[in-house]
Amino acid sequence: MTLSGILQSLDQDAVALYGYARDAAAQSATSIQAIRPESSTLLGFARGIGLQAAVLIMVAGLCWRLAGILLLRRRPQHALSRASWLGRVGGGAAMIFTRSFPRRTFLPRIGVSVGLSTVFHVGFFAILLGGAPHILIIHQLTGLIWPDLPKGVVVMISGLTLAAMLALLARRIAHPVMRLLSTPDDYLSWLAVFLPVLTGILLSGETIASYESLLALHILSVELMMIWLPFGKLMHGVLVFASRGAMGFNFARKGAAT
Amino acid sequence: MTAEETLGDMLARRGFSRRSLLKFAIAMTSSLALPPSAAPAMAANLAKSKRRSVIWLSFQECTGCLETLLRSASPTIESLMFDFISLDYQESLMAAAGAAAERTLREVVAANKGEYLLAIDGSIPAKDGGVYSLTGGRSNLDMLSEIAADAKAVLAIGTCAAYGGIPKAYPNPTGAVGVEDLVSNKPIVNIPGCPPVPEVLSGVLVHFVSFGTLPELDDRKRPLAYFGTTIHDQCYRRPFYDQGKFAKSFDDEGARQGWCLFELGCKGPITHNACGSLKWNGGTSFPIESGHGCLGCSEPDFWDKGGFYTSLAGGSEVGWRNAGVAAAIGVAGGAAAALSARSKVKADKAEPGIEP
Amino acid sequence: MTALAAFGEDGLVDALLMQIAGLLGRLAEHDEEGSIDLRGLPLSASCIADLEKRLGRGEVTAVIEAAGRSTIHETSFPGVWWISHADESGRMIANLIEVALVPMILRADPADIILSQRRLPGCTHVAAHARARAA
Repeated sequence: MTLSGILQSLDQDAVALYGYARDAAAQSATSIQAIRPESSTLLGFARGIGLQAAVLIMVAGLCWRLAGILLLRRRPQHALSRASWLGRVGGGAAMIFTRSFPRRTFLPRIGVSVGLSTVFHVGFFAILLGGAPHILIIHQLTGLIWPDLPKGVVVMISGLTLAAMLALLARRIAHPVMRLLSTPDDYLSWLAVFLPVLTGILLSGETIASYESLLALHILSVELMMIWLPFGKLMHGVLVFASRGAMGFNFARKGAAT
Repeated sequence: MTAEETLGDMLARRGFSRRSLLKFAIAMTSSLALPPSAAPAMAANLAKSKRRSVIWLSFQECTGCLETLLRSASPTIESLMFDFISLDYQESLMAAAGAAAERTLREVVAANKGEYLLAIDGSIPAKDGGVYSLTGGRSNLDMLSEIAADAKAVLAIGTCAAYGGIPKAYPNPTGAVGVEDLVSNKPIVNIPGCPPVPEVLSGVLVHFVSFGTLPELDDRKRPLAYFGTTIHDQCYRRPFYDQGKFAKSFDDEGARQGWCLFELGCKGPITHNACGSLKWNGGTSFPIESGHGCLGCSEPDFWDKGGFYTSLAGGSEVGWRNAGVAAAIGVAGGAAAALSARSKVKADKAEPGIEP
Repeated sequence: MTALAAFGEDGLVDALLMQIAGLLGRLAEHDEEGSIDLRGLPLSASCIADLEKRLGRGEVTAVIEAAGRSTIHETSFPGVWWISHADESGRMIANLIEVALVPMILRADPADIILSQRRLPGCTHVAAHARARAA
């Protein structure tokens, strides 16, 4: 056999091997869902079955509650509408926005708590949507991606968010009326949000415990929040849009001021 | 080399002065995170140490661990020490084979009862009586229990021997386990890694020969001096992690600039090993320096951590199909609840005199 | 490097220098030798270069060829020695600062001295003649 003949046959082998490897890779790519993550550690559980279960429970729970509300009977409206369909929709959208700001007359009484609540809500969503690892997991689950905030900024915001949450809890416990009105749902919902922010800031500082333990606790706390979300007061995060929107829609229908 | 020759005599015979042995001891104390003042005592102990028998059994393995240790030997005192300390029985390397090898093994065990070190690489298949890995007709399971019984200590070399390794990956058809799952009454040192960093084995052996004890171990029985910190803490790309500069794909601008590989699946933050500082091939490089994220190869079950390219922030795929099924179940439940509420309202309305 | 990081590095070098001063005190008063393993500390290359610059060079430089090259130089502070050990392939295997009258690696080992004592008579002319006659 000549040298060129040998080289040619090696070439053909290489092409065949490459084809085989490429097919094998394509096969394994489609069977990613078949790979089971290890569950022998807390982190393995959190990233594996824990994550799957939490997402599915959250999706099922959200659909349950939304369907359960949207399919309820609504009182029939016999009067004529005072606004066009577009006007009604616009009224709904406007009310979602305007109800976020308290009326001036109430500001002296509720200004502080609304301010703290705003700090908390803005901070929480800035962390959730601006933190690089959060964008990463959403990207992995849905394919969406957008630019992240600098890590130091997210850490500072986390600190402010934690402080606001503690202040709000203190008010709930100290104020006699708030204390009377509060139910276990309120406290559990507070805890379900507080724990992810707390474990998140500890994880970013890589302090108190090992990275692996902190990561496991952080992911588990987020999974707790996801599981609780559809069933308690946290559901306001979804329903606020529906309820304000529906109210605005009906007010516009009636021609009432919003 | 007679049975009574000390390591110091052997080195002198080969033309190495005590000064070279002291230099080696200085390097070893640095590697083992001992104070430099321990070096003269270590050198003196090494010099007067007698041959220590090491039996090396290879079980369900790829031979990568043995290869890495062999290839790492440059003509230094370290490799001479390996010659001196080892290696009475090792199937891949020894000249004897078959029945002669079996006889050698029995003789070595008998001659060094209670004093030999047992080094294991490869996992041990335990399912079906261990029939999935046999040597000379005997299962690895039986060999381990017999030979470990008279050993002074057991060294589990590589992740397979330490924790089960790749044979243990899901679905683990052979029932592979690590040494520590089978041996409970002997001191065990795990030297995990796929393959392990060669300097770790020499460090452990030097410590054992010099001081007669095994080095301090962590809760996974790994030498603390080498497995006390994570790759994340040793990594030269750490400043990029802290600044939030991540490579998004293997050939983007960030990757070219040497940014952190967290988003490409690096398991550095949860992996304890020495390769971030000691590196491979005599300090040449290590996976992150070569542009690939850490696989976490010195941690148990690293093959089943959900994929090498899934970041620590991510986890298992949920899948749109599964989400769809969950949504459908949710809608069905909610609809049922709403319908029962609606029919209750209707029933109330049907009753005369009752307000809807 | 940011100013803050540079400040941190300067602090580290100063801390090391003060530690060496402490070791010198122990050597002077109690004849106690000491050493600092530079590889065991989180020092950047610029830190080490800065430390070397501040310690300076003294009167003594020595090179040892034993299983690779080791270089020793006395710093501008007598009693403070900088020692680098490399293996045969030139890779650095230890880098330390030793505070001593003479670094321990320079001293001849008693066992080696005994071997020398046995070997030396074999270098004499008489021994060479005896070997030639025996051959």
